[in-house]
Amino acid sequence: MSNKSVLDVLTHSPGTSIGVFLVAIHLLSALFGFLFVPYGPTELAGVSLLAPGSPGFSLGTDVIGRDYLTRLVLGGRTSIFVAMLGVMIAVVSGGLIGVSAAYIGGFYDDVIMRLVDIKLSIPGILFVALCVVGFGRSIPVLTIVIAINYMPGALRIIRSQAMTQVPLDYVKSARLRGDSKLSVIVRELCPNVLEVVVVEFAIRTSSAILAVSALSFLGLGISPPTPDWGLMVYEGIQQIYFAPWLVLFPAFLISTLVIGLNFATDGLANALGLDAARGLD
Amino acid sequence: MLIAILRRVGLSLIIICLVAVLVFLATEVLPGDALDVFLTSDDLMTMEAEDIEALRHEYGLDKPAVERFWQWFSGVVVGDFGVTFIDKTPVSDVIWDPLLNSLLLATVITLIAIPVALAIGILTGYYRGRKADSMVSSLAIIGYSIPDFVIGTLLIMFFAVWIPIFPALILVFADASVLELLKVSLMPAVTVIIGHVAHLSRLLRVGFIEAMNCEFVERARLSGIPEKRIVFRHALPASVIPSLNSMALFIGNLLSGLIVIEKVFGYPGLGLQLLEAVDKREVHVVQAVTFLGAVLVIGMNLLADLAIIILDPRVRSHKHE
Amino acid sequence: MPLAWMPLEALTEEIMDLLNVKNLSVGYYDRFKQIVPAVNDVSFQLQQGETLGIVGESGCGKSTLARALMGYCRPGSLIMDGEVRINNLNILQMNSLELLKLRGERIAMVPQNPLSSLTYHIKVGPQVDEILRIHQGMDSRSARNHTLELFSGTNLTDPELIYDRYPHEISGGQRQRVVIAGALACQPAIMILDEPTTALDTTTEMQVLQLVKELRKKRNMALVYITHDLTLTDYICEDVLVMLNGSVVEKGSVKRIFKVPQTDYAKMLISSIPRVDSENGSSSFRLLVPDREPLLSVKNLKFRYGRHGSLFATFKPKKEPFVVNNVSFDLERSETVGLVGESGSGKSTIANIICGLLSATSGDINFDRQSINKAGEKRSLDLRRRIQIIFQDPLSSLNPRHRIETILSRPLKIFFGLKGRVARDRMVELLESMELVPDHLSRFPRQLSGGQQQRIAIACAFAAKPDLILCDEVTSALDVSVQAKVLELLKAIQTKTGVACVFISHDLGVVKQVANRVIVLQKGVVAEAGFTKDVFAKPKDEYTQLLLAAASRQNDAPIPIHNLGDIQI
Repeated sequence: MSNKSVLDVLTHSPGTSIGVFLVAIHLLSALFGFLFVPYGPTELAGVSLLAPGSPGFSLGTDVIGRDYLTRLVLGGRTSIFVAMLGVMIAVVSGGLIGVSAAYIGGFYDDVIMRLVDIKLSIPGILFVALCVVGFGRSIPVLTIVIAINYMPGALRIIRSQAMTQVPLDYVKSARLRGDSKLSVIVRELCPNVLEVVVVEFAIRTSSAILAVSALSFLGLGISPPTPDWGLMVYEGIQQIYFAPWLVLFPAFLISTLVIGLNFATDGLANALGLDAARGLD
Repeated sequence: MLIAILRRVGLSLIIICLVAVLVFLATEVLPGDALDVFLTSDDLMTMEAEDIEALRHEYGLDKPAVERFWQWFSGVVVGDFGVTFIDKTPVSDVIWDPLLNSLLLATVITLIAIPVALAIGILTGYYRGRKADSMVSSLAIIGYSIPDFVIGTLLIMFFAVWIPIFPALILVFADASVLELLKVSLMPAVTVIIGHVAHLSRLLRVGFIEAMNCEFVERARLSGIPEKRIVFRHALPASVIPSLNSMALFIGNLLSGLIVIEKVFGYPGLGLQLLEAVDKREVHVVQAVTFLGAVLVIGMNLLADLAIIILDPRVRSHKHE
Repeated sequence: MPLAWMPLEALTEEIMDLLNVKNLSVGYYDRFKQIVPAVNDVSFQLQQGETLGIVGESGCGKSTLARALMGYCRPGSLIMDGEVRINNLNILQMNSLELLKLRGERIAMVPQNPLSSLTYHIKVGPQVDEILRIHQGMDSRSARNHTLELFSGTNLTDPELIYDRYPHEISGGQRQRVVIAGALACQPAIMILDEPTTALDTTTEMQVLQLVKELRKKRNMALVYITHDLTLTDYICEDVLVMLNGSVVEKGSVKRIFKVPQTDYAKMLISSIPRVDSENGSSSFRLLVPDREPLLSVKNLKFRYGRHGSLFATFKPKKEPFVVNNVSFDLERSETVGLVGESGSGKSTIANIICGLLSATSGDINFDRQSINKAGEKRSLDLRRRIQIIFQDPLSSLNPRHRIETILSRPLKIFFGLKGRVARDRMVELLESMELVPDHLSRFPRQLSGGQQQRIAIACAFAAKPDLILCDEVTSALDVSVQAKVLELLKAIQTKTGVACVFISHDLGVVKQVANRVIVLQKGVVAEAGFTKDVFAKPKDEYTQLLLAAASRQNDAPIPIHNLGDIQI
């Protein structure tokens, strides 16, 4: 399994290849798109609601006259950044806590798992709403909320993977040699949950991107005037009779990004012999 | 078995209490108190310090956090979530009708989604590896990758804007009759089903494949038992029992999933109420909705676990150990 | 179309074979969708009342062959070529309806693992009823009565009680009897048993084998018995096929193959079997040298698991029974003591206590005149070095994510502070003592065979230069031929280094090969102890006699029926 090349994984199946391709395009445009856009994201460059194909504005303008192409290109990077950073924090901290809970067990494990149960019983969007009311609406709050929201689920999955390793004899041998708890966790156990951590990261990132854009749509996530696809769909609904493209373009982009991510994840999980099609909690 | 059930119920009650603590902490203790949350910075600039203190006293917010929690929580137990800041109506009155409406929508969705997902899951699981299976699996990935609000908006675009057979925005009051609500719940329900059946059916498919790979299926086949009977008598229960938890999770999370849908269609449910409350910074309403959402999830998980205790003989006889 | 089977009486007069397999080949699809053969060009015949053993090590295709005999392939595999004829009807050309009629009615299978082969959410009685109702069209009442008869026919005590149990509520032996009853339900002419006793204890295994033998005689069935254990075929079969990598390498009567094996593989298989009745004992291991002080002395050792209180446990703490109860023994330097017993006898627990994974509930353990009652974490580095343990499953004892070099370097670094060149030289030396090459250092455990993995585990233990080695079922996970090699290497390095050894095994033949003295454990209590020679020649204890009889597979083994596994409550 470990000697499979990256290329093998990426071209696992046609679906995977398409997924990887979509994700690559989206990532490149999120990273370098700002170099190529003709206007600033909040610049009032034209008149209200130009149709696509207008001179100087290839995709038209929005309701207050900002260049729509510019806003579309830049509309993914904030949510991608928030989702990836938040999930990264969630998976790494959840992974370390999960592995240590599995190894140390006993009271420590019990307390952690009860905390996980508590968090898992509060639905994600409600939890975000609660935090937005309590702490205000900003990018750092959103990132931390995403991290806290995805951490318990990742913790539980990684812990259960670690639980399959803890009773194995190589862990006993390490204990008998006198290795410290930290050394057993880091040297022996962590390398054996790595695959699960990677897949968790991938699955949860796509879910988090969906969540962030849904939150923006609801007015709980990224706030205007920052361009964001979820927000743009919401703003576009008001003009759905006259300018349906205001909804269609961002809807298309966010969908292709998540579809790409999920296809790529599915292939990755398959290649690693894990299962991506399970419930996210 | 009784002990196992009681244990499980007790655990759920403890978790509900701890969730209450967490909800209270996040809204009233960490940011200061309910008033700190309710008042905007503009309010704070224009109001005198004494006025704020007076308000604080009026709402009992000058008491220590533990006492306030106890006051709040003892109300919650009997269904009293406090009053709103703006017009001092009881929170329970504010959320009651929307709660029923959301539950109605959730019930409609559950009744359609679970059987459909089960059928798709079993069919694709049984014919796994065939072309049809991989096509349905790919469609499922696409299905749950498209955000709910996009599906909803597209449906509005097709069936309200381009072919106007449905209204683009639901104009029904929160206390409308069930029949009226059922009429308008079709599009929201379809939206959720498109997105979430896909995911649920994938989960059920995996569970069914696992069950069909069990050795007891092979033994049954080698004993000459017809395939239909193997699927329905041997494999199906074995795949549904472990999937009960996923189904419970699906139903439990419906309420929060509905927030987006209610916003898209303007359906007068709890989600819309919540968003309004967030806008108005009505702390007590947000607390109540979050708490109820958590209780629903805990309750569904409890039901699933109890069902497993009753249906799975291995778990049932755990008491013997 | 109803199938017209030959009436049974007519069969004996016909010249046609009951089962005739011609050039059968079965393959499966690998990762690249290429067909890899698992069974290659196998042919044989079987007549009514005959018994055929199919023997081979794991992965030789014997189970695939067994399933193909019923016209069945697992998903992902296919029958590539050949014929399987039952009464001259080629079952590989039958449609699915005809196959349904055939399976369970004319030819039945007893699978390997009775627990997972019974549907866990259906009571065991109705699972046998089901077969009767489908094949014989019985109504539920007569099916139930018939099932109860079948249950008593397979020596299940109290069939009524068993009928309403779920599979997990009865013992392993009982489950296997239920599965056998299900296979017998329609009085098949051929019964295939696929390693039916691997999941069972030695004594239970013996009872099940006896039952199979009796039933075969009574019903005059033809039997195909699949096993990895050549001695089992000696007990139960007349003829045997020896398989290697999907092909038959030798066939003939069992007696003949045991006496004059023709192929090298068969010769090797037979010579690798550790036998309890073999002449040469453990004389090759160092004989007991009278020493002033025993290296290890265990006195009145008792152990039971404590109930670790869960945070929300509502149970009152209940006292667990003792897993190890009053066990005492001494071990001299350079000596090997064998601990023998069935699963649950507490033998592995004793090893875990000595090495410090568990703490004794009461009792004294002295190692080289110092008390080692403390759990592992509190022992000194030197003590930890001097006592090493080798576990049963080699794959589990090597971290799958570390290269062999990393694995071997750990004890060298921790116990001796060896690094770099010196460490590498020592590793190569250790590998060579295990007949491995330096090349293996850069491999991951999964890239090695089971035997090689276990040799690495042994090298890892000896890297610490210990005084005492605990071998916990070190060869049970290995094929016979590999087992012989590992034992030989283990013996060699032990003789060279003069390390004392506690050798734990359920296999009496293996223990006889390696141990000077032997301790027989039954449910945590010492049933018998003494010099290996004496215990094996003249066992005093009833339980030891039972174990020995089971191990030597004597036909007249005194297996009391009342010893059947109790219903687990």
